[in-house]
Amino acid sequence: MKSKGFAKHYYFMLIPGFIWLTLFSIVPMFGIMIAFQSYNPGAGVFGSEFVGLETFRYMFELSDTVNVFFNTIFIAIMKIIGNLIVPLVFALMLNEVRYLRLKRSIQTIVYLPHFLSWVILGGVLLDIFAYGGPINQMLGAFGIDPILFFGREDLFPFLVVGSDVWKEFGFNTIIYLAALTGINPALYEAAGIDGASRLRMLWHVTLPGIRTTAVLLAVLSLGNVLNAGFDQIFNLYNPLVYSTGDIIDTWVYRAGLLNLQYELATAVGLLKSVAGFILISLSYYLAYRFTNYRIF
Amino acid sequence: MLRKYLFLLLFVLVLVACSDDDASSKPSDGEETETETSSEPADPFGAYEETLTIAIGQEVDPSDTSLQDGDTPLDNQYTRHVKENLNIEVEHAFTASPSNYDQKVSLAIASNDLPDAMVVGPVELRQLVEADQIADLTEIYENYASPAIKEIIDSSDGVALENVTFDGKMMAIPNSQASADGVHNLWIRKDWLDNLGLEPPKTIEEFKEVARAFVEQDPDGNGQDDTIGLAGPDTSNKLYANFLESTNNLYGFDGIFSALHAYPGYWLEGDDGQPVYGSILPETKEALSVLRDMYSEGLIDPEMGVREDSGESVISGNTGMFFGPFWMPYGPITDAVTNNPEANWQSYALPLDANGEYTPHLSTTTTQFVVVRKDYEHPEAAMKILNNLLANESEFDPSIGGPGYYPLRLVYAPADEMEVTTVALREVLAGTKEPEDFYDMPAYKLLKSDVDTIHEVKLEPYDNMDIEYWDPEANLGQWTRAYSALVGTAPLVDNEINGVMSLIYSQTETMEDRWVNLKKLEDETFLKIIMGTEPLDSFDQFVENWKSQGGEQITEEVAEVVNQ
Repeated sequence: MKSKGFAKHYYFMLIPGFIWLTLFSIVPMFGIMIAFQSYNPGAGVFGSEFVGLETFRYMFELSDTVNVFFNTIFIAIMKIIGNLIVPLVFALMLNEVRYLRLKRSIQTIVYLPHFLSWVILGGVLLDIFAYGGPINQMLGAFGIDPILFFGREDLFPFLVVGSDVWKEFGFNTIIYLAALTGINPALYEAAGIDGASRLRMLWHVTLPGIRTTAVLLAVLSLGNVLNAGFDQIFNLYNPLVYSTGDIIDTWVYRAGLLNLQYELATAVGLLKSVAGFILISLSYYLAYRFTNYRIF
Repeated sequence: MLRKYLFLLLFVLVLVACSDDDASSKPSDGEETETETSSEPADPFGAYEETLTIAIGQEVDPSDTSLQDGDTPLDNQYTRHVKENLNIEVEHAFTASPSNYDQKVSLAIASNDLPDAMVVGPVELRQLVEADQIADLTEIYENYASPAIKEIIDSSDGVALENVTFDGKMMAIPNSQASADGVHNLWIRKDWLDNLGLEPPKTIEEFKEVARAFVEQDPDGNGQDDTIGLAGPDTSNKLYANFLESTNNLYGFDGIFSALHAYPGYWLEGDDGQPVYGSILPETKEALSVLRDMYSEGLIDPEMGVREDSGESVISGNTGMFFGPFWMPYGPITDAVTNNPEANWQSYALPLDANGEYTPHLSTTTTQFVVVRKDYEHPEAAMKILNNLLANESEFDPSIGGPGYYPLRLVYAPADEMEVTTVALREVLAGTKEPEDFYDMPAYKLLKSDVDTIHEVKLEPYDNMDIEYWDPEANLGQWTRAYSALVGTAPLVDNEINGVMSLIYSQTETMEDRWVNLKKLEDETFLKIIMGTEPLDSFDQFVENWKSQGGEQITEEVAEVVNQ
């Protein structure tokens, strides 16, 4: 009895989140119907004509569909890998810095870009990599002809991944640093007494100590494999790099909101949701398998 | 446990039900307040007895700093005028910058949450009609349009009305603009030509030579390799104007395409008399190969297609040539001249085709429409606001609030407005006519102030249009206008224009579903061919894909429309 009464206000605290979820995630789900209709905004979701799988047939006819799915997965996987390894290595290096003030300042500085929105960073990056921008001027000093970085379809995905890792690695570093402080110092002392070098300690104490955190982060990010970062790409891309830089979200945005192709945009979005659902289920299962992490 | 889940489920249901209520309550609002449209006598300029509010969608340019004395986009000379004359209070359902306005309109359509009235383009208009979201304005136009507006619309030979008539009903109020908006002149830094001892290029070959000289021979004499021969389109402009957006394409390659008799984006009459799409013809491939060579030789801005705004390098004095309409002084040229008073931008009807003729593509004169939400109680209010603008436009002072702040602004101009203005200004300058001779031409609404102020900004000799014989600082607003006429429009007055029209300027049914993707295919392929990332022969693949992905069906539909 006592524990039940105790739990009640916890459930009340759930209400704001629950309202949010309902309004923005559950109610809009009825919009899925648009994919099976010849949608007429005047008649609404419930009054439009039903056309079955017609839109999906057209979707698979378009060469774009395969292309944007491939781009999305490619960019997202590269981002996941980059955002796991770079912060990990950086956290390990920062952990070896013994001068505390320096460590703190570096930690804060690399953390800063995380707080800037892509609208701002997009403009900054476009200028830095512009035809007459600082990067090309530096290359020019070595006798390299200027490169139109954001107009090159072969370079674009790597610029996207690189700038995303640069923006976010400070944030992820902090998670690893937190995990590092959780390692029992006695283990280092014991290893020291046994005559282990710094490198040995890293290998046998530090890495196993944060293994769970690393695996958990990796597994959970699997659910994001279909989110390659709308904000970023939207602010950086242009028609020249659509072939390698256009992702599902930007494509759906253009098709649905700019070009009024509601059915097509919804169908592609639905396909993304289904694939995303499978991946999240999978990552949940893997998280449970490897790190015993569970929600239910 | 079970009870808890039931509670949650109930909660969800209540929320869903609430949100449904919200959506369905809107139309009934409209029904309740529907009143008195018919009881009032039809007076195009009549003020309402009780203040009427109209919520509109409005384009607001954030870089426009012309509003003075604490005026806002909602409270300025235009809105006050509308309030005083018509007793209509204007409100904003939404505002958006020029580059985002179309998105905002699309969003309003998709969410079925329309303002009472707004300005839309041909694609959105069709969508709105199909979705049955807007009011039938047939009677409103009959009863409330002012004689001046009717006269201008009638002068378009029915084109304007045709564009807004669906199943015999008039679903929007069309604009009618000067045809000069649809011709893309060649603008050149004449001071650079003079520095290098060159003449304006007549042929494509000469054009290339001038571009090469501009890039390689340091025309601005600053000792740096920083000049661009020909500007290219930025991310918000197109390689060429097309049949759906046939006017006001900035920094495109329109002039080069048309000099080679290629009209991509236009529907033309083929050799067999049937319609054919200009982008898939061999002339277009030929023109693309010329542009491709120019790009690879560095004659075209290497950053074309990636720049946010190609006008910036015009302003900063790095660009030597670009294609654009007569009104470019309203664009970057004002700033270019303010920055560097010697930037002598002149405009030419060049380059010419192989026979020495000027053969640009021409536009339709109707590109924008005012639509009124279905169920809005006072659809005639939109018509009255437009009547009021045309009748009083010369009373407004653009230097204390640009014309774009007028609610629901549509351009009503006789098709030859700019040409007439240019000739009038010349006659006044030459002394063969007096300003008073032009006072009695109300359809040319700005002509009176143009002829009255020309002597303020134009210096002697009156027949030399070089920038040193102008005084922009005397009255920048009037200089912009006069320079657009005497320099920007002059080529259209002095040359014979053997222009090419598109067979249609609106969408057909299949286009609604397929056109966007065909257009994307076209834009990407052409851009890549010009910039050298795809071989020229990918054009042939494009033609095949275009036909098989709906182009053939669309061509048949166009033929049906044209042969009707």
